[in-house]
Amino acid sequence: MEKPVVDQAEALRKRAASRRRRRILLYVAAVLAAFYSFWPVMVMGLEGYNIDLGVIIAGEAFKTTTLYIGGLPVNVKAIIPTAYYYLQDLGLEAYPRLVANTLIVAGLSIGLSLAVGIPVAYVLARIEVRGRSLISYLLLALRTMSQFVVIVPLYIAYSRLGLYDTFTGIALAEQLIILAVVVWMLRGFFSDIPRDIYEAATVFGKNEWQVFRRVVFPMVIPGVVVTTMFALVLLWNEFLIADTLTGVATRTAMVGVWEGMSINQLSFNALAWDSLNAAGFLAYIPAIVVVLLIRRYLARGFSLGAAR
Amino acid sequence: MGAETRQGRRARESRRWYLLFIPLFVVVGFVEIYPLIESLYISLTNLNGGASLSNYVTMVTTPTFWNALNISLLYSLSSTILAVLIGIGLTFILTQELKGKGIFEAIYILPLAAAPIVVGVLYSPSSVWDDIQQFFHFILHQPYFNELTPSFYFPVMFFSDAWEWSPLIMLVALSIVNSASKEVYEAAELHGASALQKFRMVTLPAVFRSPVMQFVVVLRFIDAMRAFEVPLAWTNWLGYTNTLGSPVDTISLYLYKLLYSSSLGFPLGVVSAVAVSLFVVTLVGALVLLRLMKAVGG
Repeated sequence: MEKPVVDQAEALRKRAASRRRRRILLYVAAVLAAFYSFWPVMVMGLEGYNIDLGVIIAGEAFKTTTLYIGGLPVNVKAIIPTAYYYLQDLGLEAYPRLVANTLIVAGLSIGLSLAVGIPVAYVLARIEVRGRSLISYLLLALRTMSQFVVIVPLYIAYSRLGLYDTFTGIALAEQLIILAVVVWMLRGFFSDIPRDIYEAATVFGKNEWQVFRRVVFPMVIPGVVVTTMFALVLLWNEFLIADTLTGVATRTAMVGVWEGMSINQLSFNALAWDSLNAAGFLAYIPAIVVVLLIRRYLARGFSLGAAR
Repeated sequence: MGAETRQGRRARESRRWYLLFIPLFVVVGFVEIYPLIESLYISLTNLNGGASLSNYVTMVTTPTFWNALNISLLYSLSSTILAVLIGIGLTFILTQELKGKGIFEAIYILPLAAAPIVVGVLYSPSSVWDDIQQFFHFILHQPYFNELTPSFYFPVMFFSDAWEWSPLIMLVALSIVNSASKEVYEAAELHGASALQKFRMVTLPAVFRSPVMQFVVVLRFIDAMRAFEVPLAWTNWLGYTNTLGSPVDTISLYLYKLLYSSSLGFPLGVVSAVAVSLFVVTLVGALVLLRLMKAVGG
């Protein structure tokens, strides 16, 4: 009578042990995956502070070298954590300017895409118009089209029309990136509103404009905010169109960062790396903040509203 | 009579609805249709201004074009598959019982915020690989490995692209899991299925059968065809900054180089021909997407 009980206890203990082992494995996997996700970014951020993991591993962290800081030779140990490069980048006349340019471009193009997109999204969600799949296809083609197809003619047209290197011009061209996404996200938010609400509003004798203005629009304002933030991330990270159609006056942050990086990548200018890493990391921070704020809607945005 | 007028009114109303599309058509016409027609026109015009297919002939007789096309397909396919695999792995972690799940999820989506142009540089020898080299050399006492061989940089390129986009696969998979019914999981639990079994037999089929996931995977593939940022960083390292025929030239990078270096000697017509060809490929892709989108119910 006693033996089976012992066996049972033994079996239970074993199962608990294996479950604990599995839990530990799971946490190890989760932490490793977290490391995988932020490690490259961390490297960039640290090197901006002049903390090079490679140098530390090589055991040369305490070797004295000569650095030129602010044009003056300064004898420093190889690893000296310093916010110098961040301050330098932020203090540069160019950097805040680049950020401001990006924000102006984003503001104008998001404004335009909302003005164009809200009515379209509303109609697509509200009624069965004929030719709906044609419009869907048009937007899909817009979203998947290689920018290279349009960039040459646009560049030529812009030079002729005087739109090159103007905020209006670049905001118009960025519709290639965001318009389809904005329409689809908004359409999803309009569709989320129960049909009864439309019908109730109509029954109370409101005309279509009033239904939209008084009832529906206030309900999708959060959706509009999410859409705006999502478009902001896309525009913040957009490179090709900005690189081609902006000049000295309207250059955006990402183009500026890349220009610095590519020049130094070619010349192997190691000293400028810290400064560039700092710049790259600074450019990454706003995108992180926005992405984390709208994380519940990211799948929706990137999948053109397919995922909920 | 009354029914007729109501129908008439509805027809008039629906015609009024179309007015709301006009701004869309104006913008799309200016930034998409017009440049597209112009590109088509340039690609079909020879240097003397006559209509001819000579640009397309030049394109298909250039070996570097075919090379770029092959690399593009390899790059898109590999990085998409890798992103799906990693994304599914992340999904597995986040569908288990885990404390601090929210924090882990927040960390996992960080790569989505990175600009592709920076991702390429991050994973190039000077940043991340420098540290790994030192780790292998000084901690594991291995010789330095050569970063500039195809067996190294191709996997790294695929991996950098997958690093950025695996969180998207994860998010979409999670949204599918969350909207699936809990009964199947409960039934599986009742039959004593382990976590891995549950994931393999219930979650995975649900995720891959979902048109949403199929849509996202196809979209990712098309986007990878259009991407040039990661190969751009590597082509610089390999010393092919302004020359064609680098082993990492994807079709989009090929176009980027053609556009930015007039010294390559390709007339605008050939550049447009390549661009139009790429456009035709993505247009077919968009057709697939449209089908999937209808299956989703969009």
